[in-house]
Amino acid sequence: MGLLRFSSLSALLLLVPLLGCGRGNDALQLPPNARILHLASLDDIPTLDPAAGYDTASWTFEQMIFDTLVRYSDAGVDLVPDLATSWQESADARTFTFHLRRNATFTNGRAVTSADLRYEIERVLTPATRSKGIEYYRDIIGAEAFVAGRASTVSGIETPDPWTIIFHLAAADPIFLDKLAMPFAAAVPREAAQKWGDDFSRHVIGSGPFMLRQWRSGQQIVLVRNPHYFDPSLPRLDAIVMQLGVDPELEWLKFQAGDLDISAIPPAEFPYVMKTPRLRNLTLHITTLSTDYLGMNCRMKPFDDVRVRQAFNYAIRKPKLIAILNGRGVAASGILPPGLPGYDPGIRGYPFDPAKARALLEAAGVGRNFAPTLWLRADQQEITLAESVQQDLAQVGVHLILKPVAWSALLEAIRQPHTVEFFSLGWEADFPDPQNFLEVLFARRQWGSNNDSFYANPRVDQLLDEAAPLSDRARRYALYDEAQQLILGDAPWVVLYYPVTYVIRQPWVHNYILNPLRPTRFDRVWLAPHPHETP
Amino acid sequence: MHFTRGSIRAFASVISARLKPNLMEVAGALMVALLAATAIGAPYLAPYDPAAAVANSFGDPAPPSRAFPLGTDELGRDVLSRLIWGARISLEVGLAAMAVTLAIGVIVGLLAGFFGGLTDFVLMRLTDIMLSFPTLLLAMAFVTVLHPSLLTILLVIGLVSWTGVARVVRAETLSLAQRDFVTAARSLGAGPARLIAIHILPNVMPLIVVMAVLGTSSTLLLDAGLSFLGLGVPPPTPSWGRMIEEATTYFRTAPWLAVFPGLAIFSAVLGFNLLGYGYLRRTAPRRSL
Repeated sequence: MGLLRFSSLSALLLLVPLLGCGRGNDALQLPPNARILHLASLDDIPTLDPAAGYDTASWTFEQMIFDTLVRYSDAGVDLVPDLATSWQESADARTFTFHLRRNATFTNGRAVTSADLRYEIERVLTPATRSKGIEYYRDIIGAEAFVAGRASTVSGIETPDPWTIIFHLAAADPIFLDKLAMPFAAAVPREAAQKWGDDFSRHVIGSGPFMLRQWRSGQQIVLVRNPHYFDPSLPRLDAIVMQLGVDPELEWLKFQAGDLDISAIPPAEFPYVMKTPRLRNLTLHITTLSTDYLGMNCRMKPFDDVRVRQAFNYAIRKPKLIAILNGRGVAASGILPPGLPGYDPGIRGYPFDPAKARALLEAAGVGRNFAPTLWLRADQQEITLAESVQQDLAQVGVHLILKPVAWSALLEAIRQPHTVEFFSLGWEADFPDPQNFLEVLFARRQWGSNNDSFYANPRVDQLLDEAAPLSDRARRYALYDEAQQLILGDAPWVVLYYPVTYVIRQPWVHNYILNPLRPTRFDRVWLAPHPHETP
Repeated sequence: MHFTRGSIRAFASVISARLKPNLMEVAGALMVALLAATAIGAPYLAPYDPAAAVANSFGDPAPPSRAFPLGTDELGRDVLSRLIWGARISLEVGLAAMAVTLAIGVIVGLLAGFFGGLTDFVLMRLTDIMLSFPTLLLAMAFVTVLHPSLLTILLVIGLVSWTGVARVVRAETLSLAQRDFVTAARSLGAGPARLIAIHILPNVMPLIVVMAVLGTSSTLLLDAGLSFLGLGVPPPTPSWGRMIEEATTYFRTAPWLAVFPGLAIFSAVLGFNLLGYGYLRRTAPRRSL
């Protein structure tokens, strides 16, 4: 991998002068003294069509070009108004009514109405669109009939007037609002989407703070300010220019030269950045809504014995892992990460206690020759962390064998019963709700799907089923907390840490705010005068 | 024919020059001996357990100090102890892979050179095909399919590096097979097995020794390369290539992590090369491999 990376780096160095002129934007018709945010990325943007995109890169731009009814606040996972100015949720969490703002227009000049929101959800539900978002809206009444082609519209979506939209659900869904905050449910003008068809991604028209000016695949993508955005004070940038096909190492060099305003930090530079106060002060970080863990297969010997699983929990030194990560993680005590609604700061987790671990292993009758195999992704950092776990387990008489495999092979293997006894994985939330962790990862019916530790506890299943339809947050989170405590006691996982993401920005970049769940929004970002400005 | 005194003296000086090891050879032999001694004596020489955390330098490798002459790495392990144990792994892999290389290369070379004709054609085209693959890429593909372990690594290195040996052994066999003593043995009724084993192989032997010594340095390098790419002997077994790979993260803040294993690989390869070329220069001044 190292070799491939170096060769592609040199190839890029040759290419860049040819693409070049990143700063001379004559063809882009930007005004002189335009305030431009310069970014770079290795991979091209997969799509800008909100029905199609389901990845960070696509969403970064989709959420700037399109508006949804509600969206997450800049720094948190609380929902704030976007196209909707107010909304009501019925007590049974089955009816949702939204009132739309009247001053939103698409960049083709037409007003945004409730019909545009209905159109996009129906477009996502149309099988021919092949949208990955289709699953999220099947609970709307009439959606199944529409998907099957038996109805021309979704009967559960009501648009009594251009400024009101009502959703009726077949079953209670307390996280339906979160599903409407996904770009799949953005307002899309029918006339543009139908005119361009599959090519809509290249000719997107939305109502968001920015609009697409230029997109040359593998070279650069340029978004410019939407002068008709419903909030006239936004956005505060004139344009966003992202160079594509830029290797992470090159991105870092360009950042250091002042050509980029924001950059990721390559792993090999991270310790250096953190040891250099000038650079460290420019970093931003956020604890993402994810948990990295070691899973144990509760159906395979000797991990079917809860004492063995608990012993592993006592044996592993989490602060050491955090030190090895140079602080790119927070030691975990529970399954739910901090920042996730329903997180319980009272959970203490298992302390580091090798004596207790040895006693538990002895009580479980695990002999001196216990040599389990840890499956993990073949990645340098993963292997280093696993070597640390190997050291810790050696202290309690367990000789861990490491098995680094390709990512896809790992995902395939852990879904097979009786195959992987011990594995290293992480889970990232799609929605800010405990259900997204506890039910998806520990329910009995998720065996062979996401319940990779083949864990089952009837009482936990009962609690999960009881909590799922509740829209009373306090009650809902209390039930999930009870389930979490039971799962931690049964110890199918060793929770390791909550990953922390770092980026670095130039001193003149302001309001660049990281979000635990979504890409950063650019609408409030502004740039102070600086020496690298466009001449 | 009568020898003059002068010509006898000249002959004697040629003989003694051929028997007296040259400087290259001595230096190489010393380096290889040092490497072998380190590898064999690893349990006694290494001050610490190479896999255990012996210092509190997690995530922040410590520079060389009195207690840890080459520093400690990001997992708190002693770099000197890992380097010493790494010598064992490197030498094991290097020599065992060389044995596999020789086994395949010598057999293919002898058969092709001795029998000629169709056998020669098939075996040599096979060799050409193997040669046309980039060695490292082929080794990576093999290791990925077979999963890395000590055994697979040395088998794979052997499998991808036998072609050079096969070609040289074939060329030598071809010329030996035409010589009078082989013709004489053949006319006395010796079969192919006897001809190859008793008459040809011993005469190819010096060449094989040189190729083995020189080849060991390239198997060492290939092993280091595979380890660097994460395809070497699995952790926590210390290997020099892996040590360099792990050090890349800390290259700017803790360069000694990469420098010492780099020097170790350098000196091991240099040692084998000096020994091999020195021997070659003494025994066959005009032959080049």
